[in-house]
Amino acid sequence: MFTLVIGGAASGKSEYAEGLVLLSPHRPRYYIATMEPFDDEGRARVARHRRMRADKEFQTVERYTNLSALRLPERGTALLECLGNLAANELYGSSGAGGLRGAFSAIVEGVCSLRDQCEDLVVVSNEVFSGGERYAQGTEDYLHLVAEVNRALARHADRLCEVVCGLPQYFDTQRGRPECR
Amino acid sequence: MIFITGPLYSGKREYACALLNCSMDELEQHAVWDVQDLAAACGDLDALADELACRRVVIATEVGGGVVPIDAGERAAREAAGRLSCLLARRAERVVRVFCGLPMVLK
Repeated sequence: MFTLVIGGAASGKSEYAEGLVLLSPHRPRYYIATMEPFDDEGRARVARHRRMRADKEFQTVERYTNLSALRLPERGTALLECLGNLAANELYGSSGAGGLRGAFSAIVEGVCSLRDQCEDLVVVSNEVFSGGERYAQGTEDYLHLVAEVNRALARHADRLCEVVCGLPQYFDTQRGRPECR
Repeated sequence: MIFITGPLYSGKREYACALLNCSMDELEQHAVWDVQDLAAACGDLDALADELACRRVVIATEVGGGVVPIDAGERAAREAAGRLSCLLARRAERVVRVFCGLPMVLK
């Protein structure tokens, strides 16, 4: 089962997504972290989150770009968080695919590869599209990338939900499990 | 009239094409989009909503989700866009929000 969870900042999307993973009977639980810590604040945040997830028996895998090359040791349940970071890393990072097309393929193919290695996959993405459209060109590219990735993955996902105030709103995907590529 | 709303780049026009069974090139014969941009310069939102409601499909992008803009003009434009959407939703026989390409019927 592949579930795509989308929400705005501090919408409760991460907690909801973690809850979905805890509901899955398939072990081990992998947490695929995409945020590269650049300073002490980032490192402290990562350390705190790692401790929180250790209690829930997650194994943390750090992966900032090129998700397709990731091999999970066992078939279990994975939580990928989040596409907003992954998109920025692929678009702007030194190890990223660079460019809209390359970044798009790297992310969508990477998520599909991950899905094929799991029993259950939960992917967290970001709703950043209802605050207007007056952005600089760089931001515009980033928005296009995240939007296209979200839509492409929504087509692949078994379930899509938007989390609002911690509450999941499920969209009717109207199909069974599609083939990925 | 069917009113379609949703965030930026969420697939609203593609959904309208599927609904109307037309191509993207043919869409303008049946539908009008980016109506949120018409709100700012409009003195009478009710009249604008009435006029737009004559089309089969009206599409607006949600623009009210960010921080309140510092610029007064942008603030007013955002306000007008939101109000226009409410007026259109009231006139519509169906309201659909498209999110990541998937429709959710709101009315």
